[in-house]
Amino acid sequence: MDIDRSVAALSEVLFTLAVFAVGVAILEGVLYLVLVRWLKARLALPILLIAPALLGLLALIVYPLVWELNVSFTNMSLNRLCDPGFPAGLLATCKDQPMFLGLDNYINVFTRPVLQVAGFFQVFWQTIIWTVVNVSFHVGLGLGLALLLNRRMRLKGVYRALIVLPWAIPQIVSLAVWRTELNAEFGMVNQLLALVGIGGPSWMTDPFWNFFAMIMVNVWLGVPFMMVLLLGGLQSIPGDLYEAAEIDGASSRQSFRHITLPLLRPVLVPSVILGTVWTFNNFNVPFVINQLELETSDTLVTGLFRAAFQYNRYGFAGAYAFVVFAVLLVFVIVYVRRSGALRGAHE
Amino acid sequence: MTSTTVPTPVQAAAVRESRLATSKGGRADSPLKRAIIHAALFLAALIAIVPVLRVFSVSLRPNNQLLSRDLNVIPEGATLASYGHVLFETDFPQWMFNSLLITVGTSLVGLIFAATSAYGFSRFKFPGRGVGLTALLATQLIPATMLLVPILILAIQLDLVGTYRGLVIAYSVTSVPFSIWILKGYYDTVPIELEEAARIDGCSQLEAFVRVLLPLSTPALAIVFLFNFLAAWNEFVLARVLIGSQADLFTWPLGILRFQAQFQTQWGDLAAASVLVSIPIVALFLYSSKWLINGVTLGGVKG
Amino acid sequence: MTHKLHRLLPILVIGSLILAACGGGEIGGDESEEPAASAAGSEAAAPSAAAFPEGDVEIELWTKEGDPQIAYVESLAEAYSAEHPNVTINVVNKDVEVLREDLVNTALAPESAPELVWTVADHVGPFTSADVIQSLDGQVDTAPYEEGALSAVQVDGTTWGIPISNGNQLMLYYNKSLVGDEPPADTDELIATAAENTGDGSYGLVFNETESFWLTPWLAGFDASVFADDGVTPTLDTPEMQAALEFLYGLKYTEEVMPSEADYTIASDLFTTGDAAMIVNGDWELGNYADQMGDDLGVAPLPTVTSTGQDPAPYTAGSFYMVPSAVEGDALTVVLDFISWSTNTENQILMVEELRRLPANIEALEDPIVTDDTLLAGAAEAVQKGIPQPTNVEMRCVFDAMNTGIRDVLGAGNDDFAGVAAAMQEAADNCVATL
Repeated sequence: MDIDRSVAALSEVLFTLAVFAVGVAILEGVLYLVLVRWLKARLALPILLIAPALLGLLALIVYPLVWELNVSFTNMSLNRLCDPGFPAGLLATCKDQPMFLGLDNYINVFTRPVLQVAGFFQVFWQTIIWTVVNVSFHVGLGLGLALLLNRRMRLKGVYRALIVLPWAIPQIVSLAVWRTELNAEFGMVNQLLALVGIGGPSWMTDPFWNFFAMIMVNVWLGVPFMMVLLLGGLQSIPGDLYEAAEIDGASSRQSFRHITLPLLRPVLVPSVILGTVWTFNNFNVPFVINQLELETSDTLVTGLFRAAFQYNRYGFAGAYAFVVFAVLLVFVIVYVRRSGALRGAHE
Repeated sequence: MTSTTVPTPVQAAAVRESRLATSKGGRADSPLKRAIIHAALFLAALIAIVPVLRVFSVSLRPNNQLLSRDLNVIPEGATLASYGHVLFETDFPQWMFNSLLITVGTSLVGLIFAATSAYGFSRFKFPGRGVGLTALLATQLIPATMLLVPILILAIQLDLVGTYRGLVIAYSVTSVPFSIWILKGYYDTVPIELEEAARIDGCSQLEAFVRVLLPLSTPALAIVFLFNFLAAWNEFVLARVLIGSQADLFTWPLGILRFQAQFQTQWGDLAAASVLVSIPIVALFLYSSKWLINGVTLGGVKG
Repeated sequence: MTHKLHRLLPILVIGSLILAACGGGEIGGDESEEPAASAAGSEAAAPSAAAFPEGDVEIELWTKEGDPQIAYVESLAEAYSAEHPNVTINVVNKDVEVLREDLVNTALAPESAPELVWTVADHVGPFTSADVIQSLDGQVDTAPYEEGALSAVQVDGTTWGIPISNGNQLMLYYNKSLVGDEPPADTDELIATAAENTGDGSYGLVFNETESFWLTPWLAGFDASVFADDGVTPTLDTPEMQAALEFLYGLKYTEEVMPSEADYTIASDLFTTGDAAMIVNGDWELGNYADQMGDDLGVAPLPTVTSTGQDPAPYTAGSFYMVPSAVEGDALTVVLDFISWSTNTENQILMVEELRRLPANIEALEDPIVTDDTLLAGAAEAVQKGIPQPTNVEMRCVFDAMNTGIRDVLGAGNDDFAGVAAAMQEAADNCVATL
């Protein structure tokens, strides 16, 4: 390790953080002056608190989103690699061809086969099943393990550290190892099954078992995260509530339903939402485990990658990504409203 | 949640201390129950670590073999050559250092942003709050690969490529939405009466936040920090765009790509590197117990 | 990212129309000013005869070579800088798919382009489509290089790259302690030898059953070709193709000399542990297998197909230097000089020593270090029987379509070869239509 480079890196990071801090201070100062002194706004404080993060997010996420939306109306691709400009390449030409395509990309997303045969709705349906099954297991097993660990016990830290390993080890290797171990003949999974007298299936070629394998691996990957989150949530529930319930004669099931679940809700709800979104958008697991590119194991994101990204079809990819985004947005809005997660401390 | 008397911050702290001593419920578990619980946890831990042990085996195998029918954890002819090569003959220590630097720095910054913003969302009602929260979630909906090209263009225009500037900003900001939601959730379970009591005692709103709410939220803050840390530690897409070809600045996800060729992946080296980069994470979790302990919410305290 | 992304897929994507419209280089470059071939270590006289720059020049070189091969690239850079102290060459490893993406993206963000790229031949397609590399006609002398190697990066007479190594061909590696000193001469012998070595968890023959690249060498053995005479229309639904598929199916399901599932790493690991007697794999593994198996390793071209009497013909390609479009002036002079210098005879011989790859430099190919090495000689023989990989856009569609075919036949055991071929054709047609 090079001391010079490390010192240079350290100073660069510190310098950036310092500039950042100064920038934020200036921003806050300006906002303070404007909102408090000048406008005498009552709600200045929340805005002051939220502003820095909001600005950063705007730049980092809103700009690319707008860019993608813009490109999705054009025919930008490897053969037509020109910047379409705003709005939607209406005025742009690339290699003497107009770039504006209107809604063609969007129509193609729904009507053309995503890959060889499977259409959008088949892959969409597969993605839904993938997501629902995964999240159910993530939350179910995660909560179960959290409940087990939520007590004074020996080896608690050890268990937690071990169970977290799937999350900690880089997927680039863990998924490659999983894929090798799922080989029907030589892999460890089937070898272990053989020890107990079960003939292991062909995980890679059989459509059902491949899907099963994808879910199995993703559950292995995702439960640790849920467990840690829910354990934290459980630990913020005061013990004497349970004591009081016990004294009143409640069974453990009753105290679970009436104490644990309601008090866990503020943590459970965002975890479920984000777990759902991340599972839906998960690329690594379906891509690696579905080695033979079975269309029955494709999700929207892997389909997007194969159909659009690998061929540099930027316009089509943009449209596809937006359709996925829209689907998730609808889900999020509906779920958030129904679960009451938007209520704050006043309500 | 009902409450009759409202404790002062001092009393709150005292109760917190006493909380640390008790488990959930007052009665200790029976030995049978404890045995079953340990068995279940042992099984879970086993399922979790067996594939990881396979990775460990690969790192010890002499010939870059990924497949082996040998089920032993320590394979035949085990050697530390891969570890030696990774640690001493490549820039791996530099990559780890770079990653550590960026990750710790941005996790702290991200935590600060999230803690303050979540306070705003939790304690105040203002127009656009619901929309804001939903919008925060909406930022998580985009698959990362879609952001690659536009972020590259933006970063080049702002001269953020090939340095850490862009990456520090990006990492500090990207984990904020999730962190805000988690922290807001925790804050919501802490009764606002505590801060109001503090203000009556003379604290400003901000002081009440810092002195009353934050200490009670240590599990949430710890979780958010851990999550930020893990997300930044493993992050690849943004690092690739924003660090580009500056090899000195490589974080470990960029660095270990050199062990992967088109077909001739150096599995031994890759596995060794993977084991090494997991160590900080595991250490962090092993030693985070202190922070993840019950931070007490006093709602529901009987009068 | 993942192993999967590093498919050695020929992703040659060129539309000749596009080339004509882009004018990325002069079609049919002017060859009249070619200088003499450069000698080792000397400052090459580039055709443009620009004087070597005095001031400091920084060159960024993206190479797909990873660990440990990258050490060779870095040694070249260091040696060059030793001779030209005002030049610094920064060697950056980029995984093949990452390199492709990043260079294509420089069309939208030109400041991020490097000065030189060392990559695979397939990339010529996307790079010329996106207009991110420049023609080397008239800029570098191509006389020292083997024709077959050069042709992989020549489109309509324009040369887009300079070859560093030649090969990439699939060939037959065999374990002499199991098979004997001589390789099987034809496919009947292949099957017989494989059958003798199958049993008890060992197999006679293995190869990557998941990628269509492993189907392609057999096509010529059955007179199948992926394109019609126009070189652009996919012809995957032919009796010849069905015959090729049937042959592979037979190896696995009738003769049963292959394992039930094998991807690249499984096949390779079985071979190196002695659990497989023969493997069809590429020349890039030569050094690795030789190190692991020593004298037990034998190399030969794929055996003749008994039923047709034809030899299989693997696709050949190689690694190439390519120069991004934006490079000019002093940087360009240095880059061109470096290209010629690093591929001169002396350095190519060095490459053979370090990387065990077949050089593209004609003189180096004739050097004893290649001709005396039985393994390299076997590899060279295999290259001779190969055909240059097609470089057009449609090829990627063809590879993707054939992927479904080979996986259906070998993976799922589908013996409806006509149906499989028809499906491949449909997939290829669908893909080509969207290009």
